[in-house]
Amino acid sequence: MTTATATTADDLDAIGDIPATADERATRLPTPLDLYSRWERQPWSVADVRVARDLDTWRALRPFSRQELLNALAELEVGEVCVTQTLSSLVDHAPNPDYQLYLCTQLADEARHVRFFQSYLGEVVGIGDGSAEGQALAEATDYATVFEPELRRTTEAVRTGGGDLDQWFTALAHYHLVTEGILATTALRTTRQLAKRLGLAALDEGLANVTRDESRHVAFGLLAARAGVRDGHRELIADAYLSAVALAVEVLVGPQRKTAAPSLRPALLQRAAQIETQWELARDRMIRQLSLIDLRDLRDRAERVWADARSAALDSYQERWGVEHPVRRAEGITARAKAKLEAERD
Amino acid sequence: MTEDDKVGRRVREIIGEMCPLGEREARSTDRVTDDLGYDSVGIVELAMVLEQEFELQPIDEEQAIDIVTVGDVEELVRLATAAA
Repeated sequence: MTTATATTADDLDAIGDIPATADERATRLPTPLDLYSRWERQPWSVADVRVARDLDTWRALRPFSRQELLNALAELEVGEVCVTQTLSSLVDHAPNPDYQLYLCTQLADEARHVRFFQSYLGEVVGIGDGSAEGQALAEATDYATVFEPELRRTTEAVRTGGGDLDQWFTALAHYHLVTEGILATTALRTTRQLAKRLGLAALDEGLANVTRDESRHVAFGLLAARAGVRDGHRELIADAYLSAVALAVEVLVGPQRKTAAPSLRPALLQRAAQIETQWELARDRMIRQLSLIDLRDLRDRAERVWADARSAALDSYQERWGVEHPVRRAEGITARAKAKLEAERD
Repeated sequence: MTEDDKVGRRVREIIGEMCPLGEREARSTDRVTDDLGYDSVGIVELAMVLEQEFELQPIDEEQAIDIVTVGDVEELVRLATAAA
């Protein structure tokens, strides 16, 4: 087995070979066969990660970090199971043979990701696949509640529609662009940073491997969506994308789960900044995607969709838990401090 | 030893025990980030442990102070203890 090389946090943005000009550099995407070749050159195995070596470090984690990681792993695992179960309709009805060939490699990747997260949860966290605790954890995720039903609906529509191209691109927007390109990449990056910070070497290595695979999946989504946009499916892809983005924002804010945050003001502001950084990372990916798939003119609309969905999800959180989300609490503190400063200046 | 001294000593103990650079003795003049290596995750964890240990309540924003040194944390905990 070839040992996979280390992946940097920026690998998710490294989507092709090095092009000649700055303009090309900004917009060049690999072909499906380039991605197939990358898949052959980048093998890894779950067994080689040896997840059990994280056991002692995991047990020594403080409750806040342990819960943060557990929530992130649950969201990632649920997402991976869902994409594994739904990809086959996109493979079966791929619009051309090169797409299909590449997508077959992705199906194998997704299965491997499920095994990695299941192994980690089982051997390190102590939550076995199929256990009551595992089931409860999965059901409490925002991805399962908010996004999964829509991904299942759109991918099933590809199957029942017999490969209708509009349905295929709608599913692609939900699957590759938003689930993988926004939600998974953001979760992988932030979870990996935390794993590294906490000294969880096996988790860091496994997430690096998953990240490398995801960079191919995201690149495929971009190249296929751009081809669709250029080939007459522009409006359909734009609408599907924006509707998926609104759901993704809800998953990111996460009204289903109470967000742990301290009351002491300086620490609360730090906590809110941590969360905001994740959201901004995801939002930046959305803007970058729009540029790469030739939908730059959609940016203002997308920003409005993002802001409205964020506000609605924060409202839902408050309604559900009876308290403001830490980010909104921090915004209130900052706004009041600013107003006080301005009043003093006047 | 006054109650304030006891609070300060316990806060320093906790900060020292949780120090991301490894357990050590923390002094009131140590800078939490620059000297002791606390990052944003570390500060949030520290705040949660302090809130549990001292059963702290949110304090008036007017009274809230920024954290630079261990002494600032001691002061913040004293204020929040008084608010409880």
